[in-house]
This record gives sequence, C-alpha cells and structure tokens, in this order.
Amino acid sequence: MSSRRPPRGEYIETDTGNKVARKATLVGTQNIMLGGKTVIQPDAIIRGDLVRTIHPSSQSGGNAAPQNNTAISIGRYCFLSRNCCLRPPGRLYKGAFTYMPLRMGDHVFIGAGSVVQAASIGSHVHIGAGSVIGEFAIIKDYVRILDGTVVPPNMVIPSFSIVAGQPARVIGEVPEGGHEAFELRDLYKTVGNNPQPAPH
Amino acid sequence: MATAFTPYSYIQCPCSDITLTDRRSGGSPTTSEPDGDDHAFDPRAPRSSFSLYPLEYLMYCEDCHQIRCPRCVAEEIVTYYCPNCLFEVPSSNLKSEGNRCNRSCFQCPVCIGPLAITSVETKPDPNLLAAPDNSATPLAGPYALTCSYCLWTSTEVGIQFDKHNGIHAQLAKLRNGGTTRLTAKERKERRKDPSYKGQPPPTDSQDLDHEAQFANLKAFYQGQLADPNAADAGLALLGDLGFSSPTSLSRIMSIYTGGGLLHDKKAKARLGAMREALDPDEGLLVASLDESAAIAKLRSEGLDGTASAAQRLGQAPNLVEPPLHGRERFLDSLRPVPHLLRTKRSKRCPVCRHIISKPESKVQTTRFRIRLVAGSYIPSISVRQLALSGGTGTGTSASGAAVPGAPLEPLKPAYFLLTFKNPIFETIKVTLGAPVTTPGRFASRVTVICPEFEVDANTDVWDEALKDNAERDREQRRRRGESISAGGGGINSANQLEVGKIWERGRNWVSIVVEVVPASLALAPGDPPLREDEDVLEIPMSVRVEWEAEMAGDEVGAAPSRSNSEAREKRELAYWCVLGLGRIRQR
Ligand SMILES: [Zn+2]
Ligand SMILES: [Zn+2]
Ligand SMILES: [Zn+2]
Ligand SMILES: [Zn+2]
Repeated sequence: MSSRRPPRGEYIETDTGNKVARKATLVGTQNIMLGGKTVIQPDAIIRGDLVRTIHPSSQSGGNAAPQNNTAISIGRYCFLSRNCCLRPPGRLYKGAFTYMPLRMGDHVFIGAGSVVQAASIGSHVHIGAGSVIGEFAIIKDYVRILDGTVVPPNMVIPSFSIVAGQPARVIGEVPEGGHEAFELRDLYKTVGNNPQPAPH
Repeated sequence: MATAFTPYSYIQCPCSDITLTDRRSGGSPTTSEPDGDDHAFDPRAPRSSFSLYPLEYLMYCEDCHQIRCPRCVAEEIVTYYCPNCLFEVPSSNLKSEGNRCNRSCFQCPVCIGPLAITSVETKPDPNLLAAPDNSATPLAGPYALTCSYCLWTSTEVGIQFDKHNGIHAQLAKLRNGGTTRLTAKERKERRKDPSYKGQPPPTDSQDLDHEAQFANLKAFYQGQLADPNAADAGLALLGDLGFSSPTSLSRIMSIYTGGGLLHDKKAKARLGAMREALDPDEGLLVASLDESAAIAKLRSEGLDGTASAAQRLGQAPNLVEPPLHGRERFLDSLRPVPHLLRTKRSKRCPVCRHIISKPESKVQTTRFRIRLVAGSYIPSISVRQLALSGGTGTGTSASGAAVPGAPLEPLKPAYFLLTFKNPIFETIKVTLGAPVTTPGRFASRVTVICPEFEVDANTDVWDEALKDNAERDREQRRRRGESISAGGGGINSANQLEVGKIWERGRNWVSIVVEVVPASLALAPGDPPLREDEDVLEIPMSVRVEWEAEMAGDEVGAAPSRSNSEAREKRELAYWCVLGLGRIRQR
C-alpha cells in the first residue's frame, strides 16, 4: 500500500484507487488483497495475519502449487465502514486448527461495527450496521442484510435475499428494480481526501 | 418514535384504481387523469396500503405503457432450488418428493438456524461446529444434526444417524426417541413377503403414522371398490346423501391421488354404500383423547418444555409420527426441519400477457433475460428536508439539511426538497398536483412551489464528460440559472424560494421545493386517540409525465430514415404517489 506522497489526508489513496484510512488497523497486509477502489474507513480491522496454516495440496505429492497465502481478498468498490472487523474463519482440519480465506466480491458494503467471518461473500452485497456474519457463512450475490442481523455459522444465503433477525432468516426478496441500489461507485466518491458531494 | 424518520415516496399501481377499471370495462381506452380534487387519492384509505410500492418494486409493461406491481403481475415458476445447497430440483420431483430439500439441508426446529452434521462422539465444541464439509467431519459415526446458533442437537430428541450423508432418507425412518419405523414402501414389500404372512400387522393405532394410515385407508377403499359385493356389506345409512358412495369417493380419491384410476364405469354404476374402516389395518385410527400424559409432562417440565406456536408452525408436515392429538406441544417432539425450496419466477403483464421479467433459469446466475423495471421508465423521486432560515423577506440562506428525521413542528412551515431524476433518453415534462390539505383527521397544508417543470434527458454520462469545456461552462451556467431560463419552470438563482421556480437542476434531474404546514395533533376532548402512524405527514401527489418518443413502430429491423425520425408521438403517463415527509411532534 504505497501512499501517493503527501498531502497527509485522513486516507491513504493507492494507485489502484483504494482509500485506506490511516486510522484503520490492517494486520498482515501482505495477506490482504484489495481489488481497487475500495474504501476502508477509520477503526476498521482487517485480520490478514490469520492465515491458513494447513494446505490440502501440500499433503499430496510434494509442493506442486505455490502456496497462496491470501487470508482476505476484497474485490472492487467495497466499502468497509467504521469499526467493522473482517476476520478469516477457522476450524479443525484433520485434527489441527487452521484459518481459511475470506473472499469478498465487488460492491460489498459492510456497515459500521459489523463483524464478518464468512467464507465467501458475493458481489453486490449490503451488510447493515452492527451485524455478525458467522464463521463459514456463504453469502451469494445481491443480498441485503439488515442492521443488527446475526447470521449463524455455516448459513448459506442465496441471491436476492433480504435477511434479518437473530438468528438470521430470509424475510424478503430483493425486487427486480432494486439491483442498482447495490452499486457503490457513487459512495466511493464521497469519501477520501477530496470527497465529492453525493450525487442526486 | 425513538428511531429517526426516513422520508419516502411510494407509487400507486393503476391496478388498484377503481375508476380506471370501470373506465376500461366501459370500453374507452383513455388513461386515467388524476386531476382535480374530485377523486384525490387518500393514502390512508385501507385499500391504499395494498397498492403503494417503492419504485424498486414496480415493473413496467412496454406494450401497455403502464406501471405493474407485485400484486397484479402473473408469476410463473422458472426454477425450484434449495436455498441451502443451491441444487436445482426438477419440477417432476416436486410431485413425488414434496417441496422440501431431500438432501441433507435442515433447519433447527428451535431457532431455525442451519443444522450441521457432527459426530456424536466429540463433544459439541463451538469451534467444531464450524466444520460442515465431509473431509472435516471427523472420525466415525454416529452423527447428529447440531444447530450452529443455539447448539440444539438432534440427540436431544433421541435422533442420531449411522451415516453422514443421506440424512433426509435416514430421518424418514426414525422417530423421535430413536425407534425406527417402516416406510410405506417397506410396508408394502413386507405385506407381500411370505415370511411375514403369519404375523398380523401392528394393530396398535398408536403405531399408525399418517403415511401408514393413508396407505391402509387407500388399500381398504380400493379393495371395496373392486369388490362387487361391497354394497351389501354394511352401513347404507349415508348412502343416499352420496357421502360414502363409491362415486363420490372415487372423485375424492382421484383428486388426492392424482390418478384417474378409479374412474371405471362399474364403480360409477354402483350407487350403494360401502362400509367404513373398522380396524387399524383398514386405516381406522381412534383419536387418543387421553391427555393425562401431556398434562403430567407439563407439570414436570413446565412451560419451558413446550414448543412455541412459531416452532410448531415451522415444522414440516410430519408423516412419520402418529397423528398429533396434541402430543407435538413439547420441545422433545420437534424434528429437524428440511429446508423449504425456493423459486426463481418470471412475471407477465396481467393485461397483455407479455413477459416483463424473466430470470435465467440456472440457480447460480443472477442475470435476467428480461427485466423491465419501472425505475428505467418513470422518474424517481427522492425526498429531503431543507433547512430554510429566515422568513420570506430575507433572501433565505439556503441549503443544508435540517436535522434529518426530527419531528416536524406543528403549524410551522417546513420545506422539503423533491428531486426528480429522469431515467429515459428524452426530455420529460412533469406536472405535479397535490390537494391543498392532506386527507385525514389532521389536515396539513401543502404547497408545491413549482408544480410544472422539465427534466433533461438521461444522456450518456460519457457524452457529458466529453463535452468541451466551453460547452460545459455554458451548461453549468444554464443550470445555475445565470442565463435564460429554460424549459418549464425558470431556474431560481442562488437557491431562492420563489413560486413557479425550480430549486436546482442537474444533468437529468430537477429539484423542487414543497412547503408544508403540519397540522396540530391536538385532540378535542372525546376524540378517539391517535392511531398508529397517524402522526406521519403523508401527502398524496399526482404526477403526470409527458414526453415525445419515436413512433412505436413495430418495424424493428428497418433503421428509421431521416424523415421517419421526425415522426414522433406524444406519450404521457399519470399516476398517484404518496410522500412520507416526517412525523408531526405531539404535544
Ligand atoms: Zn398492480
Ligand atoms: Zn438442500
Ligand atoms: Zn438452533
Ligand atoms: Zn402489458
């Protein structure tokens, strides 16, 4: 994450357009992949240090594939709000504990104070504030998770679901006309060192 | 009222407009014109709550040029799939297997969380619960289903499995407590098997579950129908009423079994009555009305041991257990709930039957073949409160939102900014109409400062970006209103509140101001108290959009020639919407 030299703003803006708050906590940055144009707000925590320790491929016939140490991969136009926490899920694998990667698609919004330990999150996903996404949850594309939802571990949420509650349940369907609302391009422009006003 | 109020705009689908349907049946094809106060739309009318939708929920029929809502479209199922394993279920399976996933997808009967397959041997340790895949399922069986949210496990109801796959099939053979049962198929085979010939089938009606009882009854009645002497056999009491006559029975049977097998002429000709089932083997099930066991259990376990209404409703129809007679009131009689299947559906216009929405059939794709949403045809309306300091005299220092969501002061003018964004590639003319006072018990005064204006076309963003600077400058000046006023309403410079002037204009949007004077919510003595949400200030507003479009010729292939493109037709669309502005402060 090379900063594009001063002026010292609140955000570090990378060459690929990521805007990372100086006050965000990124641990193990070498294991965190950002797709570009992603916003990480102050006090967000990303645990790239919780990297996978057991590789299924390493067991079978020598080190054929180079080990991929990505702990968290984040697509384009994602928005990580204040105080949210991304943490790779972990479990026992053949008797030993290991973390597994957390993968996120494009246009994923994570609300303030939410904790995410999913195995995968698709594209065009909105996670409201104060939510908990349990370990190894799988969230497909075009999903809206309302504020304060607790998604239990291992839950699969299919596309076009509106989810709420503790534990989470599908309470509705994203209507056909609601797809565009997941776009985060405009939101991206409203933060950073030169924020633009929100368009009408 | 602790939570802040978010302003909203809902649009009324024409399908609920009685005047429109009347007119349509009368034969004249005119569009409805919501003009004047003679039938001003009342958003508080009980009927209204069924016809108002946020813009995202509305579709648009290009052939009828009309809005369509979830209530009036006709849906057709494209694909059935399990929301948990995301496997498609062929519709032929649905008839035989039912509408639930028969792989290993279960929900917790207590909290509806997902159930994971875990080994019974290892203690349910929260970290282990996050081990869904088979390679990680450690060791050998037996296995149980465990909730990853509330830690309920199927061993609590005495159910565990030998294998970690095919849970659905294994569960079908297990009763709560772990006793096995015969499936209908096994029962049938056993009946044929000579080694079981001698033994009578279980006669205890407690053993007779729904599936077995139905199978027995069906066999019994089919035997009766085939037996030519059935008429002599017994109870002719109700025969004349047709209640137990073979004809009515065969009709009912064909309804519930789906086959037309029972329609033979012989049976129809026979009008005599048949006897009824007399023992469990024939499908007779005596209701067990003795609830002393349940009462004793309630005494010992208390209310905590009982299942809630929601939990009981969440249960899948349980064909495995003997019929309830009130026994399924306890937590230990709940069973894992197989996931209900979900569907992908296409939608048709109810009037012209054209498809207006069609998703791709594959479960994992989110693309649509057809998706005609209202948002790409009619302007969106966003609502924001404006803080206007100063009275009308001092040029009003503009901009800056008021405290969003704060209650509105009664009898004190408040200003709201309505932004209309044009999604189409033509300039539209918008005409607004709102009753002077809101309908309902508390009449607030409403003034639309600029009820008529034009919104520029939704030109390509790139066109905009590529315009040379001079042009852009001119454009911006025009928008700021420094030069000639354009279009419908003139532009008011420096955001001043002036009747007939728009507030602000952008590429394809226009903002106008609405002034409201909220009513006082004071109640006279003897008035009924405020109803729920009666303090919300909602204003009905009619919107008429007019534009010129290229002739709706069906000559899709032929590129329109120059002269042809001149041929443009006027289009218009009118509808009611309701704007929720805020809650009025109660004194
Ligand atoms: Zn409708
Ligand atoms: Zn399934
Ligand atoms: Zn549970
Ligand atoms: Zn139509």
